[in-house]
Amino acid sequence: MDAKIFVIITGAILVIAILVSLVMMRRNPNRFTYDTAHGTRPRASEGEGNTSQVAFKGRFTMLAAGVGAVFAAIFAKLWSMQMVSSDYYEGLSNQNQTRTVTTPAPRGRILDRNGTPLVTNRPCLTVAAYRSLAEDTVTVRHLANVLGMPYIAVKRNIQNYNESAQSLHTVASDVRRSTVAYIQEHASFFNNVEVVERTERYYPYGSLAGHLLGYTGTITSEQLEKQNDDENKSAGTIAYKSGDIVGQTGVELQYERLLQGIRGEQTVQVNAAGAVTGRSGAVPAEPGSDVKLTIDLSIQQACENGLAHAIEIAKQNGHNTNRGACVCLDCTNGEILGMASAPELDPSVFIGGVSNDVWNQLNSEDNGLPMINRAISGQYMSASTIKPLSALAALKHGIFTETQTTVCSGWWTGFGESDGKWCWLHSGHGTMNLRNGIVHSCDPVFYDIGKGFFYDKDNPEGLQEMYRSWGLGSSTGVDLGGEAAGRVPDAEWKSEYFSSWSESDRAWNGGDMTNIAIGQGDILVTPLQMACVYAGIANGGKEYVPHVFLSAVSRDGEGDTVTYKPKERLKGDFAKESHLNLVRDGLKGVIYEESSDQASHFTSLSTTVAGKSGTGQKTNEDDYSWFIVYAPYDDPKYVVASLVEEGGFGATASLYAVRDVLGVIYGEPDTAGTTAGDGAR
Amino acid sequence: MAQRAVSTKDALKHVNKRIGQARGSLRRQISLPVLFGAAGLVAFGCLIIWTASLTISAASFSRHLIGIGLGTILALFCWKTDFRGLSNITTVLMVIDIIVIFLPYVPGLSYSAKGMTGWIQIPLIHLTFQPVELVKIITVFIVAALGAQYNGRIDSVRNYVKLCGMLAIPFCCVLIAGDLGSGLVVFFSGAIIIMMSGPRREWVLSTIAILIGLVALLLAADSLVDSIVGRDVLLKAYQMNRLLVFLDPTADTTGAGYNLMQSLIAVGSGGFFGKGIGNATQSASGFLPEAHTDFIFALTSEEFGFVGDLLLLSLFALLIFSTIRVAYKSDSLFLRLVAVGIVGIWTFQVLENVGMCIGLMPITGIPLPFISFGSSSMLMQLANVGIVQSIWRHRTQAR
Repeated sequence: MDAKIFVIITGAILVIAILVSLVMMRRNPNRFTYDTAHGTRPRASEGEGNTSQVAFKGRFTMLAAGVGAVFAAIFAKLWSMQMVSSDYYEGLSNQNQTRTVTTPAPRGRILDRNGTPLVTNRPCLTVAAYRSLAEDTVTVRHLANVLGMPYIAVKRNIQNYNESAQSLHTVASDVRRSTVAYIQEHASFFNNVEVVERTERYYPYGSLAGHLLGYTGTITSEQLEKQNDDENKSAGTIAYKSGDIVGQTGVELQYERLLQGIRGEQTVQVNAAGAVTGRSGAVPAEPGSDVKLTIDLSIQQACENGLAHAIEIAKQNGHNTNRGACVCLDCTNGEILGMASAPELDPSVFIGGVSNDVWNQLNSEDNGLPMINRAISGQYMSASTIKPLSALAALKHGIFTETQTTVCSGWWTGFGESDGKWCWLHSGHGTMNLRNGIVHSCDPVFYDIGKGFFYDKDNPEGLQEMYRSWGLGSSTGVDLGGEAAGRVPDAEWKSEYFSSWSESDRAWNGGDMTNIAIGQGDILVTPLQMACVYAGIANGGKEYVPHVFLSAVSRDGEGDTVTYKPKERLKGDFAKESHLNLVRDGLKGVIYEESSDQASHFTSLSTTVAGKSGTGQKTNEDDYSWFIVYAPYDDPKYVVASLVEEGGFGATASLYAVRDVLGVIYGEPDTAGTTAGDGAR
Repeated sequence: MAQRAVSTKDALKHVNKRIGQARGSLRRQISLPVLFGAAGLVAFGCLIIWTASLTISAASFSRHLIGIGLGTILALFCWKTDFRGLSNITTVLMVIDIIVIFLPYVPGLSYSAKGMTGWIQIPLIHLTFQPVELVKIITVFIVAALGAQYNGRIDSVRNYVKLCGMLAIPFCCVLIAGDLGSGLVVFFSGAIIIMMSGPRREWVLSTIAILIGLVALLLAADSLVDSIVGRDVLLKAYQMNRLLVFLDPTADTTGAGYNLMQSLIAVGSGGFFGKGIGNATQSASGFLPEAHTDFIFALTSEEFGFVGDLLLLSLFALLIFSTIRVAYKSDSLFLRLVAVGIVGIWTFQVLENVGMCIGLMPITGIPLPFISFGSSSMLMQLANVGIVQSIWRHRTQAR
């Protein structure tokens, strides 16, 4: 600053000196000169003499003033630019020559509980273009030819309005090296086209656990807007930019914040042509954390293969189905070890954007709606698998005692002959106590229970309360999106749901009650909910929140940054421990006593199993096949629940799925073949 | 001994007297302020072009030096020449002037560079030259010769209009040849000569008013005429854009206003001391286009800052004001007006070139005298210095 002032003063003195010297020089000469020294004659100026010279003096003064004004104007402007606002221009100058280049951060991997990667990344070469290219028909056609893609597809990708106008639009991913080389060699033909190296999701096991893992995609404008709205609330979280790849469903969406890395930023110096001339201030990209799931690869594979096996057998039995679900839980902590949904969903089809055709296929009813994760979003009537809860309710409210019996003739007339109902076994089970009622899934026993609650003035909704206390009708809180809550119907629901019906038609009646007692009618559950119920039964009533997240592993270090702590979800209601034991005993009986064919599948296991089959009956559709087991009987750990839509009886389809999963868990495959006998339900 | 001592003293005296006489005759022969001003500018220009040559391959320092060498020879030649005789051959000069203006359109001579047909290439030696630089000084001679006829007072409107018309001829020819910037230099220097020739003030004022009106009409009618004729006839589209960005430099900073914005950034970011030699990012990294020619002042500002600019402008001020003094001193009205014309050339080129770099004037491509890279300009500007020195040398009518 001192130097500055010094130079200003010096400059000022210099300017003044120049001006003074000019004035002095001008003053010196006279109009007339007598040059005695050299003897020239005194002389007058040219022309008319003095008057002209005087006039010229005025003109020269004007001329000098004009020139002076030019310099003054330039000086003033320079002063304002270089002395007053030089900081502003310096800022612009720096802005000019620096650019921030971002490097995408690799997304975290998704591992199974043993650390086997289920989703990883792989590098891929991407051809991208700016939207303005779409107007350049010639280049687009050229590019389409080079890439071997239809012109329309290339153009549509370039015009993708999900991405902002200034961003690079992905035209084709996973481009061959030779194609890339061609484009780079002929860069002058491909203005506005760029080759970018990106990382892409890679699924080593293909469609394995596709529903659960979910898929990734370019951030949508809605997601971006939502982020902008949330900005104040979640300071310090990742700031998304248009074009970012984010999780769209499943674990990818649920744990987006862990999986997403923080993009690296680097300040680079560029010249006017945009070429990088120097680098500084690099912030390296931080990869996202690896997420470890509770899923066990082998059990997951068993769930999927078992489900496929069950569906295959259902098809052999003449049922037209490709839909179903299979869940394996650890009942001691709620960990989901395997979760399958059919038809399968391959998340890799979403890489680089999904075409309309594929999207339509994925959402087509004829293809069985593969986008749905049936294990958590599919809602079905529970069928006989609910009978243990009905029994607990009956015991609690004294509708049925542990020793009470009912005689099953195959035709139940509890509400009179006109309202008679068949047992599934039309020939009748004979005398049945509650335990054997569960074992043989004898419907009249449970019709009696329904009837008992229907006439119980104190506990008209004792049955529904019991179901709800075990978690039916409410979502389990699993850490996956799109979970359905199911439905436990009651009088209030019926009158609302069928509000267009007459008052008498929508009144809760005895038939509704007997229906829900055997799990038919309007009751809806998800396979995961039922798995939780059985986990509760196995676990003394205690149900944990089912979850797939085990821990987050930081990419560099060994340690887990976040670890899941099991959360107790609820405690199922029952009056006495003996009630629960009766039910458990019944469930063991189902496996080993109901039918010899059914038992033959499980006697090959060294572990004692308990479980229940179910057959949901829906008008105009084939039966829905349920089978739920837990094992070991004495010290329960695993719960496996399976459902095959329109797959027939429980024991003729879903049984194979759960048995296959148990077979993998215990290393003891099913040896009984496909003899499911008469199809006990 | 004493005698010898005295004689030695006398001898010394004699030598001193001779030296004094020599000094006196040197002052008589050469205007030192003009010489120092010009020499200072050329030296500063060399420094700037040298720094520019470090990063801009087109700025060849040796070619710049060759231009200076040739220019100095030409200046010496001019210095020795008595130009007074030229006042009698205005018709010949006018013919030569017009021929020179259209030389670049002569097949075999024409040479295009930077999308402009402003150069000629002299056959056999392959030297390129911009004839319009020569036109400037020839026009000054013509207008000065005509203006000098009236002995410092133009008495009739007819004579004034005639004089203006004689200026309009080369001016319009330069415009037709497609060089607006040089045309304005020609116009400005000629106009100053006419004003110094002694017309009545009200004529000058009304001429200015008419010209302003014409320019306004041109700007207004340009797009209309273009649409009627169907092509860009009057003002070129880029010229119109330059005018628009001059009015608002931030209007189109990536298109028409790019040059101006980059120049403003270069000048402003230079600050007080400048960024120093080799650190001028605006010009070195290519953001500033034509940094060694038309935008040389922006480069200077960026490297040497306010201090450097002040030095440069002081040198120009020294040169121009001392040339005014030379003009004032001359006994020949013709030579006086020639010197005034040269003052006009320099002043306008400084105003236009520096002014466009800092947003005071719209952008036109004319070089900064003595500084910009380009031998044609250097040659003719040094010749101008020689002419001014000649005027000084021949300032007395009788010899």
